[in-house]
Amino acid sequence: MPELTWVIALIPAFPLLGFLLNVFVIRRERAAGLVASAAVVLSFISVLVAIYALQTQTQDLNRIDLVLWDWISVGTFRVPFGLLFDPLTAVMTLLVTGVGGIIHIYSIGYIHGDARPVRYFAYLNLFIVAMLLLVMGNNLLLLFMGWEGVGLCSFLLIGHWFDRRSVPPGIVPSEAAVKAFVVNRVGDAGMLLAMMAIFSRMGTLTFFSQNLNGQTLPGFLERAQDVASAQLDLGTFGTIGIVTAICMLLLLGVTGKSAQVPLFVWLPDAMAGPTPVSALIHAATMVTSGVYLIARNQALFEASPSAAGFVVAIGVLTALLAATAALAQWDIKRVLAYSTISQLGYMVAAVGMGAYVAGIFHLLTHGVFKALLFLGSGSIIHGTHDTQDMRKLGGLKDKMRTTWWTYMIGALALAGIFPFAGFWSKDEIIGRAWAIQNYTTAVALIAVSALTAFYMGRQVALIFYGRPRDREVEQHTHESGAIMRWPLIVLAVGAVIAGLMNLPPLPFELPGGHLLNEFLKPVLAEEAPAFNIPLALVTTALALGSFYGGWYLYAHTLANRIKVGKEDPGYHYLGDIWKGAEIAWGFDWFYEHAIIRPYRAIARFLSTVVDQQAIDGILVDGFAGGFGRIAQGIRGAQSGYVRTYALIFLVGVIVLVSYFAFR
Amino acid sequence: MVPTSYFILLSGVLFTLGVLGVLVRRNALVVFMSIELMLNSANLALVTFAQARQSLGGQILVFFVITVAAAEVAVGLALLVAIFGTKRTTDIDEISSLKG
Repeated sequence: MPELTWVIALIPAFPLLGFLLNVFVIRRERAAGLVASAAVVLSFISVLVAIYALQTQTQDLNRIDLVLWDWISVGTFRVPFGLLFDPLTAVMTLLVTGVGGIIHIYSIGYIHGDARPVRYFAYLNLFIVAMLLLVMGNNLLLLFMGWEGVGLCSFLLIGHWFDRRSVPPGIVPSEAAVKAFVVNRVGDAGMLLAMMAIFSRMGTLTFFSQNLNGQTLPGFLERAQDVASAQLDLGTFGTIGIVTAICMLLLLGVTGKSAQVPLFVWLPDAMAGPTPVSALIHAATMVTSGVYLIARNQALFEASPSAAGFVVAIGVLTALLAATAALAQWDIKRVLAYSTISQLGYMVAAVGMGAYVAGIFHLLTHGVFKALLFLGSGSIIHGTHDTQDMRKLGGLKDKMRTTWWTYMIGALALAGIFPFAGFWSKDEIIGRAWAIQNYTTAVALIAVSALTAFYMGRQVALIFYGRPRDREVEQHTHESGAIMRWPLIVLAVGAVIAGLMNLPPLPFELPGGHLLNEFLKPVLAEEAPAFNIPLALVTTALALGSFYGGWYLYAHTLANRIKVGKEDPGYHYLGDIWKGAEIAWGFDWFYEHAIIRPYRAIARFLSTVVDQQAIDGILVDGFAGGFGRIAQGIRGAQSGYVRTYALIFLVGVIVLVSYFAFR
Repeated sequence: MVPTSYFILLSGVLFTLGVLGVLVRRNALVVFMSIELMLNSANLALVTFAQARQSLGGQILVFFVITVAAAEVAVGLALLVAIFGTKRTTDIDEISSLKG
């Protein structure tokens, strides 16, 4: 059998080629879109071939480890530029290139007529490259390169409309881009420190064992147990386990990239980017890389139960906060943004509980249906000429048939309604929390699930049902073109059937249950949980009830009280609690007052007092001025009269001669 | 034979005249002539001491002084002509544009 390991190098190579072509060769919109889409589709095909190669490989390793070259080699610090392909990477690359390809094609329609389409597609391809490096790196440093690369592309694409001073709902794209970048830097500091700690304690950054110059070096994941009992002395703060410290630092990185409490504030503002970007980067792929990171470093987190507990706490808190915030938003994309944060909290809580497969399962299904929802919202925004405020929409059901039914499928999948994809993955997480008798977490997650269903019901009611609330918007509304409709249909099919990936054990001994568990077994060895039918019934009933309740309230009961520019009726009943949810419980306000303003004050002090007065005033201008004044004093000596100079010569000569003559 | 001290005295008088000429006169030509006077007073002193000490060194040095003086005058006069061409004057107090 021919070894097909080289195929995995093609996976990131195609988008890289597409990026380079778009940057250096292509100048026309149509060519740019086609090349970019083709690159990602080819990459997707490479993934399929690579999975075939993985299944049929001769060695029993269950992973392909392809070292392309020695990347960094300084003393004992050796980092190979190596790509890894194992079942976990396989499902991630499938999601990235699959959903990514669909979104690329959709973008051809969405970005048509934009001022900078070629640049847009180039960045989109670059993002795919970086994301693939993130999930395929065989060491933490290469993962970090991808991690930073996706952050860069996120920055570039949020700021795609950098020349617009404001996009709905009043966000400045360039500021939102900077915010995303800066907030992510905070998390990246944790990543860097974690890498340093791993290298200093375990001597390597590669995940698994490597053959270097004939000798086998173990990867750090295989050595996690060796250092599990090592302690780190923090002086007056006591001691902390090394592994716990590393996990906490990694978690800091996760909270940045995956938008968890307390660093989630950048994601709602990231909606200033074009909607396909929100779908690809800020819903389906990039923000899930934190979940991937925890799943990949499973060995570390399992060696530190306290860190894992903290992960669960962060996840549940995020899920609750964001789900309540999503209730009170008016902007289509902001609802989805908070919903994304909340679902990411679900995944993080899942991997923290040790339900790695369930977390990855939810990551995959969420990637599909959230991309569908974002693309659907893009279709609505496109069809209503940049209307994002749901108070101006309403009654779009008959004008946008395809968008309507695909969006409904996405909403039901997100709400966790049987039999759509979200039901299976969400239920597995809740079931796991119940099974390990962590009832607080289980109840919180069920509550989040009910809230999710409620705000999705509210959203579809506001957009598609009731009567149109804005005459002008209503008259211009039209369904989007075929190139935007077909991606929606494909993703809608995905949102229906994605649950098949990991169904519970089927009755009557039928095959097909827990496929994902089986597939991921070599990486995430984990017992498939039993299916808790009463619990599933309860959660589904709750979700269905909330969805219907949200829909009924906003499509019928409260429909007449929703006016453009007016507060939500919920504000009337809940007052400041509603307001708090609308501003996502004031994290932005807190950062504004606790960090940004003091920082600005310090910057102003440094600029005016330290720099302008001390450094410029005393050091630079002071010295120059002092010498100037001294020179001013003695410049009179140079009179220009030759005879005066001659007299001074003479006096000098007389003095010298007298000195030597009479000493 | 005239005593050596007379020559030295004459040399000193000539030198003093030269210095005074440089210091008090404003005509650049006269200043030049005064400088020549100082050089020649020095020549006189050199020759006198050479004669008194029966040594040729002093006399040879005089030839060098004369040569250098000739070169100096050539340069000086050329400068003077150039200055007169632009300033229409040889008054050295008028040529003071390099003052601080």
